[in-house]
Order: sequence, then structure tokens, then C-alpha cells
Amino acid sequence: MLDLYGTLSLGQRSLQTQRQGVEIAGHNLANVNNPAYTRQRLIIQTSQAVPSAIGPQGTGADGVAIQQLRNTLVDRQLQGEISTRGYLQAKQQALQYAQADLGQEIDRQSATAESASASEGVGAQYSLAEGLSDLFNNFQSLATNPTSMAERQVLMMKAQTLATQFNQVDQRLGELRGFLNESLQTDIDKVNQLVEEIARLNNQVFNSEVNGFGVANDLRDTRQAKIEELAGLTRIQTVEQANGMIDVAIEGQDLILGNQKIDSLEIHDAGSGQWLARTRSAGQNLTLTGGKMQGTIDARDRDVRKLKEDLNGLAALLIDEVNKIHIAGFSLNGSTGARFFNGTHAGDIEANVDLLNNPALVQASGSATAPGDNSAALAMAKLGNATFEPLNNQSFSQGYGQTVATLGQSLSSVNNQLTDQEVVEKLLKRQRDSYSGVSLDEEMTELMKFQKAFEASARLINTVDEMLDTVISLKR
Amino acid sequence: MRVTANTFPDTLVDQLSQLAVRQNRLQSQAATGQRIQLPEDDPTAMRRVIDLQNESKNLGQYQRNISTLKEYAGASFMAIKSLEKICDRAGEIATLADDTKSPEELRIYAIEINQLLEQSVQLANTKHRGDYLFGGTQTDKPPFTLGPVETNGRVNSVSYNGNSDLPQNEIAEDTMLTVQVPGSNTATTGTRGLIVDATSGADFFQHLISLRDNLYAGDTETIVKTDRVNLAKDEENILFHLGTNGAIQSRLETASTVAQTRGNSIEVLISNEADADLAQTLVRLNEAQNAYKAALQSGATILSRSLMDYLR
Repeated sequence: MLDLYGTLSLGQRSLQTQRQGVEIAGHNLANVNNPAYTRQRLIIQTSQAVPSAIGPQGTGADGVAIQQLRNTLVDRQLQGEISTRGYLQAKQQALQYAQADLGQEIDRQSATAESASASEGVGAQYSLAEGLSDLFNNFQSLATNPTSMAERQVLMMKAQTLATQFNQVDQRLGELRGFLNESLQTDIDKVNQLVEEIARLNNQVFNSEVNGFGVANDLRDTRQAKIEELAGLTRIQTVEQANGMIDVAIEGQDLILGNQKIDSLEIHDAGSGQWLARTRSAGQNLTLTGGKMQGTIDARDRDVRKLKEDLNGLAALLIDEVNKIHIAGFSLNGSTGARFFNGTHAGDIEANVDLLNNPALVQASGSATAPGDNSAALAMAKLGNATFEPLNNQSFSQGYGQTVATLGQSLSSVNNQLTDQEVVEKLLKRQRDSYSGVSLDEEMTELMKFQKAFEASARLINTVDEMLDTVISLKR
Repeated sequence: MRVTANTFPDTLVDQLSQLAVRQNRLQSQAATGQRIQLPEDDPTAMRRVIDLQNESKNLGQYQRNISTLKEYAGASFMAIKSLEKICDRAGEIATLADDTKSPEELRIYAIEINQLLEQSVQLANTKHRGDYLFGGTQTDKPPFTLGPVETNGRVNSVSYNGNSDLPQNEIAEDTMLTVQVPGSNTATTGTRGLIVDATSGADFFQHLISLRDNLYAGDTETIVKTDRVNLAKDEENILFHLGTNGAIQSRLETASTVAQTRGNSIEVLISNEADADLAQTLVRLNEAQNAYKAALQSGATILSRSLMDYLR
């Protein structure tokens, strides 16, 4: 049985417990907008009972633990989904750049059949598709009017415009590649920094938990946020040890074991500027499977590269086929053997500058002495509808159309995947939020609950105090 | 499900951003009238539109080819028509020149024939846009030159400087056509020559020279026996070319109409692929706007109320 002093101490412990409850509600409220935060609860247990004549008697309550409401299963799932989203986002971004670099749009207002000529030169959209059809159509015009200097001049200007377009797209795609490489380097620096931070947090978690002070909730929150940030960059494997530390590995290569940072990542050049990731100490080349870094690498090595190669192939074929016919033709002066295009690929294609300066040198005729002959011009014009084996038996225009559609298809499917992925991630986050998130209403209620209990506990102390007074006054 | 302090704002932000994306897309569809603009919007439709636009451009080019060729055919027609008149007059003179005419009259006829010869050489050297029409592909030199003036003041020959090759032109995909006629074709194959032609036996200038010389000589018998027959061959040849020219012009006209019709139907195809259904777009835009408004309003109401309003 408790004596009055025992009851007084009960009241005092109760005050403490209720105050702790208020503090924890306050902590929850303070962190309501901290996305890494997991709400905490005070676990209250009845204190050790004391034996009495009528059985064990309660001695009030103690706060025994501060519990974090965390669902590790959702965390684990979310970590994987974040990697997938990182991958898709990086890919989407790279492909959107590529799409912009290609500059192919449909602008119906300026491209209808009737208004085609009317809208020329009023800011109508002009991309490689228009450039290609204009080139062959101008060969047609030349074939219809082989001695016309005007047609020749227009042809050479269109040829130069097309060549410049090829150059620009090629250059922009080259720059995009450089930009993607840079972004990879930045990501690897970020990975290394995060690995270091997680190792340090592991150490702090271990130190604060090993002393028996319970679970280091807030440190764990911070660590989980860092792990998720890392997962966004690359897919990682995590294993939580019994001592509370989390081991991190990328594609089977350990980066963190306990509180030790085992390895870090670095860039290596897999040849011809193809930057990939590898571990620094182990020197192991990594084939990443998810995360922003792999999204960047995939976009760079598949879609952007294919786009660049396709355009190069298209330009190279155009140069070869047009030159083959042009070299055998004859100019108005009877000269022969000149190239129409110089260069070998999209990056360096240019219209022969001699022809540009003197369009009379365009070799449209099949005979040195017959300027009215149009056989060379006609043969070049017919290349426009001819199909070529390297373009999968399609014409130049169709080949280009396929290139555009391939890029569009990749981007469109990434867009759809990303939308789906965001839905999945959102659902998981909502699930986590519904378990771990702070509710203001709840905390306010908690606050009132503990406040009332605090008041009541104080009243208890008051009552015991009065009782003690009564006991003391007995002696008078 | 437990709804926490951040569930509402997070969900609201998600919904608003989704609605904003949809409004933006519908708005740009309404403004441009296009369903697709970038390859990512609909890659397969984009591909078809690129192909169709290329075809449409090609058809436009064929129409331009055709209109240029029509000009050439028209210019040729005028020249051939004039030659035909000259040929008629020469035939008339050959018929008039019989025994009943005095040598003086015959001489006057001869002088007229000489004029006709020079006039017809000039016609055969007709130029269009700087190109000689009847020199085959040798368009940079006059196809016919009068020979040297003999001591008697007459020209006895006209030489041909052109060739019998002709430029072929495309008026529709893989449909070739030539609107030109060589001045001379001494082979019995290929396009018949306008002045000299082995197939019909025409050699207009030489026949004029022969008629003129026979008129000077008063040799009416040869005129009747040979020159009349020869000029009839020339007449037949020139008429053949007139007919051919007419046929070519009507073929060009047909090809142009076909290209025009095809261009219009391609326009419809492109429109089907790329254009937005404006009514549908606007209705959907309206829907999105209403949803946006509703989300804003309900969000504002929910977010501004909490338990705090009811606590002292």
C-alpha cells in the first residue's frame, strides 16, 4: 500500500509523463511539414504494482518508450519505385532535349498545300523533312528548266540550307551528349556524398542506440531520406543489421558496411567518350539497372545515339547518291566531275562552295555539249522517290520520318511509363503518409488529452498536499 | 484510410497540376487547331503526316513542272502554227505555179518563197526563256543557220546545229513526258523532227529552196511532179506536230487536275491525322476548367478549416 508520500510521487511521475506526452505532440506538430518525418508516440505503461492486503495496487504510469510509426515494408517498396521513377525521369528529360534538338514539329497553318507558297518566308516551320523535300523538288524544277540560272541558284541555296540543318542538328545532339555526360558526373559526385552521409548516420544511430537509450528515431528518419535520395540516383540494395545500421550496395558492390564507407563511384570512359560508372577501389564496372544515372546512360547510348547515327546515315547516303550522279553530269560550261555535296556525314555536309558561287557549274546535263539535256538533274530529282536498302528500303523522306517516329515512340512510351510510375509512387507515398504522417487534428487532440491529464495530475498533488496538511494538523 | 495534415494539400497539388497539364494541352490544341504537334504526341500519326506532307509537296512540284512545261508547249505551238501557215502558202504557190504563169510572175513567187524560207528559219529558231525550242537538248545555239549567200544572191542550204535528243520531264511519279520537238531527226526512230524528218520524208527548208530555184528556173514540170509532193509531206509532218502538241497540252492539263485532286485528298488525310476536332476540344477544355475551379474551391474550403477553429 502506498503512503501519502508515495501518492505524491505518483502524482509527480504522472505530471512528468503527461508533460512528455505534450512534448511529443509538440515535436510531431513541429515536424508536420518535414517530409522525412515519421510521427512518434509516447508509450505509457503502468508502473510496477506494490503488494497490498487486497492485492497488487497500481502506482500510476510511466512513459517507457517513444515509438516511431514507420512501416518498413512500404519504405522498402518505395525505395525501388523511386529508382524506377528516377530512371524514367532522366530518360524523359534527355529525350525531350533530343526532340527539341531535332526541331521537327507539325505546323499545319503554314504547311497546307494551298498556303505552302504563300507562307514561305513568314516564319513557317522549316525542318529536315521540309529541307529534304525542297532539295528534290528543286532538282525537279531544274530538270524542267535545265538552263535557268534562277532555278540553279535556288537549288544551291536550298542545298546549303539542308546541309546547315544537318550540321545544326548534329551539333546539338553532340552537345546533348556532352550535357548528359556532365549530368552523369554530377550524379556520381552526389552518390559519393550521400554514401558518406549514410555511413556517418549509421555510425550515429549505432552510437545512440548502443547505450540503451532506445531507438534513435530522428536519426533514422534523416537516414531514410538520404537512402531514398540515393535510390533516386541509382538502384541500391539495402540490408538492415541487428544493430540498426544499414548496409548499402549497388549491383552487388558493397558501398557501406556498418559504419564504414567501403567504396565510392567514379566515371570511366568505356571508349569514344562513352562515360560509365565503376567502383573506385574495387575497379568494378557497374551495369546499373535503375535510377537517374542509368536513365541518362540509356538515353545517351540508345536513343540519342541512334538518332545521331540515323541522321548521319541519312546524310552520308544523300551525299553519296547525289554526288554519284552529279559527278557524271555536265555543267552549263561543259565541265564535269565536281561534287554536289562536300563532306561525309551530318556533321560536315555542305553544298559545294564553287557551285554556290557559280550555279552555272551545277552539272544537270548528261552531255558536255547539250545544256538543254536534263538527264542528270532528273536522275537526282528521282532520288527523292527512290528507295534505298540502308534506309530499310524507304525513300530519304520516309527514312527521316521513321527516325522521327522512333524518337517520338521512345519519348511517348517513357511519358506513359512515367505517368504510371508516378501513380504507383503516389499511392505508396499516400499509404506511408496515412500510417506515418502527422495529423494536426490528432496532435491537437493529443495535446488537449495530455493537458487535461496534466491538470488532473496537478490536482492529485494538490489533494495529497491537503491530505498531508490534514495529517499534520492532527497533532495540534 | 487515415488522412493526415499533408494528405489534403498533397492530393490537391497533384490534382491541380494534372488539371493544369490537361488545360494547357487542350488550350494549345484549341489555339493551333492541331491534335499533334511534336513527335511525342502521336509518333505514328507524326510519321504519316511527314510522309503525307512530303507527298503533298511533291505534288505541288509536279504542278509547277506542269505549268512550266505548258509554257514551253504553248511557245512551241505558236511557232509550229506559224510554220504551218508558211507551209500552206508555199503549197499554194506550188499549186499556182503552172504553165499559165509568166516567168515574171514565177520570179515574184520565187522571191516570196525566199522570204518564207527566211521567216521559217527564224520561226524554227524560236527561243523561250533563253532556250532554243527546236534544237533538241542543244538549247544554247540557234538550231538552224542559213548557209552562205551564193553569187546569185541566194542561200542554198540551211544547216541543223541541234541534236535529236529531248529532255524528259516528270509530271507525276514515274510518268515521263517530253513537250519538245527536235528540229531535225534523220533517223526513223525517236520523236519525229519538225523541219527534217526521215519518217515522213519532210525536209521543209530544202524543199522550199528547191521550189524557189525551180520557180526562178521556170521549171513548172518539176514543181508539179516533185515540189508539190514534197511540200505535202512537210505539211503532213507539221500537222502531225500540231496534233501532237495539242495532245501533250491536254495531257498536261489532265495531269495537273489529277495532281490538284490528289493534293486536296491528301490535305484531307493530313487533316484527319493532325487536326483537332474543335468542338470536342472546346468541350473537353470546358470540362477541365470546371474541374479546376471545383478543385480550387473545395480545396480552399477544406484547407481553411481545422480543429484549431474550435479550440479556445
